[in-house]
Amino acid sequence: MSDSGLSLTASRPVSGGMNLLASGSATTWATIVVLVLLPLILSGSWTFSLAVCFANSIGVLSVSVLLRYGGEVSIGHGFFAAIGAYSVGILETRYGLSLYFSLPVALALGVLLGVAFAWPSRNLSGIHLAVTTMALALAVPELINNADHLTGGYEGLYVSHPVVPGVKMSYQRYYVALLALIAVTYAVARLRHSRQGMALLLAKSHPAAADAFGTRRVWARISVMGISGGIAALCGSMLAFAGSTVSPSGYTLWTSIFLLVGSVVSFYGLSLLRALIGGAFLTLVPQFLSASGAWIPVLYGIALLSMILIGHYLPKLREGILGRHGGRK
Amino acid sequence: MSGFVEACLSLARDLFPLIWSGVIIGCLYALGALGLVMIYKSSKVVNFSHGNVAGFAAFLVYGFSSGVLLELSWGSAVLLAIISVIIIAFMTYAIISPLVFSSDLTATIGTLGIGLIAQGATLLIFGADIVSLDLPVPRFSMSVLGLRMTGYDLTVLSVAIVTIGALFFVIDYTKLGIAFRAISQNPFAAEVCGLNLRSIHFFAWIVAAVLGVVGALLIVPTTFLSVTTVATFMLQAFAAAVIGGFASLPGSLVGGLLIGILMNLFTFYVSPEFSSTFLLGVILLALNLFPSGILEKVGGSRV
Repeated sequence: MSDSGLSLTASRPVSGGMNLLASGSATTWATIVVLVLLPLILSGSWTFSLAVCFANSIGVLSVSVLLRYGGEVSIGHGFFAAIGAYSVGILETRYGLSLYFSLPVALALGVLLGVAFAWPSRNLSGIHLAVTTMALALAVPELINNADHLTGGYEGLYVSHPVVPGVKMSYQRYYVALLALIAVTYAVARLRHSRQGMALLLAKSHPAAADAFGTRRVWARISVMGISGGIAALCGSMLAFAGSTVSPSGYTLWTSIFLLVGSVVSFYGLSLLRALIGGAFLTLVPQFLSASGAWIPVLYGIALLSMILIGHYLPKLREGILGRHGGRK
Repeated sequence: MSGFVEACLSLARDLFPLIWSGVIIGCLYALGALGLVMIYKSSKVVNFSHGNVAGFAAFLVYGFSSGVLLELSWGSAVLLAIISVIIIAFMTYAIISPLVFSSDLTATIGTLGIGLIAQGATLLIFGADIVSLDLPVPRFSMSVLGLRMTGYDLTVLSVAIVTIGALFFVIDYTKLGIAFRAISQNPFAAEVCGLNLRSIHFFAWIVAAVLGVVGALLIVPTTFLSVTTVATFMLQAFAAAVIGGFASLPGSLVGGLLIGILMNLFTFYVSPEFSSTFLLGVILLALNLFPSGILEKVGGSRV
């Protein structure tokens, strides 16, 4: 109904960086090795922010998956992240359950609610869906605050249950988040080669052809939202575990907008490195600018605009240069 | 029997003031929604920066009139703020116009960036404090058929009627309005006929910016002015535009009034704490029941 999809996604083949992890590319393995060894060199505060950065990278991936496979923009993924974070927080503080139990619950809830949101919005696309996801994000803080007997209201919850008893908590926060990020990146890379992934991509680019092959548009939309919601819930549970606190101020409309900013800054990439760039942008920029908080939205805004403009002009520029070379021959 | 009559009476006693104040606030939502729809109709972009830019303008009026930046009379402060907002609209469109013609969704994400910058600029210049900004409205209140009307109510109503009336007049009867309608119907054919798409887009962006400022200035006296006040208010305007189908000016007017009244009734009778959730429900319901707007006639498929 509304448009031709994002220019970036339309003009770039989806593979490229995506099968890096699956094919065991050198860069990805080198990144993983560096990240595994990093806590041995860095101080505690750095490992803490890096762990939060991994969690944010997962969130960036969830937005990028929706964009790549569904062709839709969401500014409501803070909702799913909040679901994940609060499942971990509530299961631990109220029922004393550790991440082994709460992580699958968070994932399942994220998928379920993604599907539950996708069903009433199945016929929306483009800007209509974006506005609806915005309304979804806006409803999060008041839902959290009104369920304060469970969620702790404004004060939030504290997450400190170890996953492996006896190991230093700061290491656990770091490595669990890293492991989750690698697992999600791997799963997303596998999705690209699976029948399901192909069907979703076909449904996005050629809905009529997909329909003929038996992939309904509504089914594609609902499963993409389910996958994306599940990944976002994992992001939330990692934010809760790595950041050790869960509070409503972490899941406002801004969270959702920032996740989109991260996705745009990473050029909607699904590889480990790209996701890390997006996550680092969301985590490390506020840290560097903590003294002057007002510059953060300005910088994010400028980064968002410039990445979009680069994405718009780069293919044309490349074409122009290639064209000139062709002419010389 | 008498209990039932009493219940009916109390319902009527509550209901009319609630509907009246819903209509007043709904006029403001409609002003915001009209701006969004003007931009969407011409350039197919949803302007997520609308609220933040309008909020920035309200802060500019405060800054120009209170001595923070300048010490001007209220009227000239408003004029200066409107001029600045028109410049901002001009720059915004200049930045995202290359995107508008390739992908409306990318351009829509771009407006989020503009909104972030406007929000940050407000924080940088005016800080995160809450300020009070008053309108020079006549202060009186009168009772009509048991309904209490204040000077503020009547000001909002008359400003909204004049602004919206002027807008509809321009769109229905002037050459500019005809060009605007032509472009929103079929941009390609309009361009073939010699219309300049960009200048009509500019017209829409500027009108939207001015409508946003008017709405922002009128909403501020009901609360106080902070960085998020106007942005929050604009979210209701988004809902109003969605109910109207996002592409219909009269639809967004009806949507604004409807949202104003429904929100008022909901907060009074059900719960003031779940208003955003209610808004989400209304948007989802409206989009499923009337996918192309509440005023859209049934018949003919829209592809």
